[in-house]
Amino acid sequence: MAPVTRHGWLRWLPVVAVAVYIAVPLICSVIYAVFPGGSFSLRAYSVLTEDASLLAAALRTVTVAGLTIAALLAVLVPAVVAVHLWAPRLRPVLEILCTLPLVVPAIALAAGIVGLLRWGAQQGRGSFASQISQFMQNPDLPLILVGTYVVLCLPFTFRSIDAGLRTIPLKAMVEGSASLGSSTWGTIWRVVMPNIRGPVLFSIFFATALCFGEFSVAATLSQQTVPVWLFTVSNTDFRASIAVAVLLNLTTWALMLTATLIAGRSAPSARTTDAAEDISTPDDDAGPVPTPDLQKVSV
Amino acid sequence: MNRTAASAAAPASTPTRGRRAGGALSSPAVLALAPMTLVLLAFFIVPILGMGMVAFTVDAPDGGTALGLDHFLGLTDHSRAIGNSVKVSLVGAAIGALIGTITSFCIAQIRSRRLDSVVAVLSSVLANDGGAPLAFSFIVTLGNTGLLFGLLGLDAIGFSLYSWQGLVVMYQYFLIPTMIMVTLPTFVGLRREWQEANTALGGSPWTFWRRVGLPVATPALLGGWILLFGSAYATHASAAVLIGTGVYPLVPLSIASELRSGASGGGEATAMALGVTMVVIAIVVLFLFTRLQRRSARWLQ
Repeated sequence: MAPVTRHGWLRWLPVVAVAVYIAVPLICSVIYAVFPGGSFSLRAYSVLTEDASLLAAALRTVTVAGLTIAALLAVLVPAVVAVHLWAPRLRPVLEILCTLPLVVPAIALAAGIVGLLRWGAQQGRGSFASQISQFMQNPDLPLILVGTYVVLCLPFTFRSIDAGLRTIPLKAMVEGSASLGSSTWGTIWRVVMPNIRGPVLFSIFFATALCFGEFSVAATLSQQTVPVWLFTVSNTDFRASIAVAVLLNLTTWALMLTATLIAGRSAPSARTTDAAEDISTPDDDAGPVPTPDLQKVSV
Repeated sequence: MNRTAASAAAPASTPTRGRRAGGALSSPAVLALAPMTLVLLAFFIVPILGMGMVAFTVDAPDGGTALGLDHFLGLTDHSRAIGNSVKVSLVGAAIGALIGTITSFCIAQIRSRRLDSVVAVLSSVLANDGGAPLAFSFIVTLGNTGLLFGLLGLDAIGFSLYSWQGLVVMYQYFLIPTMIMVTLPTFVGLRREWQEANTALGGSPWTFWRRVGLPVATPALLGGWILLFGSAYATHASAAVLIGTGVYPLVPLSIASELRSGASGGGEATAMALGVTMVVIAIVVLFLFTRLQRRSARWLQ
């Protein structure tokens, strides 16, 4: 590749250009937030302590995230364990069902959810369906968001947990644990979970990032989570919304970064690559390049 | 693992079939799968099927309801939104695919494993961006009073962030990383032996890329471009924050505003019909992407 080596720096040009394009909006946001009128000031961040509505939105988001993580693990881990142990025929079915949410844009799913909730509300005042519809949309505890976010997390977390269970001798563990007198659920909690710590951690970080970044479903259902609060407050106090947006952006990036690193480390292929790093050949394409993530967390 | 093609094609979970076939569907399995079934039904399958039902149901002349395509024919009212969405996604995906391809080609040519893995991680994080904060950062940067708007003289060239141009520029923030994420393994995987064989047979780098490199990379590049189109078409959050409602209609924004207008005005059925078209486009995109990925993976094993 003679021409390329002669102008080696040219190869860096697009990389640097993209890096600049990625960095500039973030830098501008920080400058706008902390240099109002040209001098340094953290006044925009006083909204963090002074605005009760932000605190409420943050608490709501944290609650939703906590419940989403709990529900996701409670729903997903037993189901994947079940298809590995007792019903291997159902594994492809579960895989397809868990991957399908990837295909549906978040706003379309939100439309479907709104339709269902309205249908429930139309079933007459005091009827069971309308009570459920109201209960799910309770602004203090929007369980509808928890359920929807669990579904949105499934495509990635299923793959992770499924791969994790494949690398451990699940059957022998459960049989050994049962012969020592443990119940099936005790085994899952005490034996299986610690052995898939990587995939579980990935699921936790991924779910948290999704709950903090998701806008479409929350906004369509008029639930004031932090991203929706940002949008509402930007009409009255734009600088504060920028200040919080920077924090939110960095938080989601950090969460996604952690999730990706955990996924890369716990993936079996990456583990072998790390060991083979010293004798690596340039054409070895089994590097720690994660499989393409097709879903967007915050759409 | 008992994975047959027949069971992979089975579309729905049928416990009786599982019992007959596996013979092992004991009660702990039912218990363990029940919560998952409930969650998928309540928050995914029923809403999506309900969306389809509402979209395809029309008022019959006799006062009842019937199956019909009226709501889809009525989407001509939204032809501007559909046209805008297609335009922004096509242009955005083309630019993102071009820049992403050049960048990941250069990254692969630098031949640093450290850079490869750092870029892989960062691009998969950025590919997931596209939320409300993204729009805010672009308003501050390139908006009418943005820090760089005057500096770059964007006013003079007639650029406006609150138009299709702004959307295209903003979407690059997650489209370029998506393209890099999809194509980097291909470029890294284009084997050195092939290049050496090409040189040994007297070929120039130009012949290598024309005869070997590009033909092998084409499915991955095409797949990436299709994926970018789908990604841009489905983007809602950042567009909603940037554009708001009405000024520059897009399909996801129209769904949101039709839903707000409520069930009484017939807006809900329109929203559902638009939602169905989005799901169909997303299915086509994912189908084509998977086919092309598989084809390119054949060379890169």
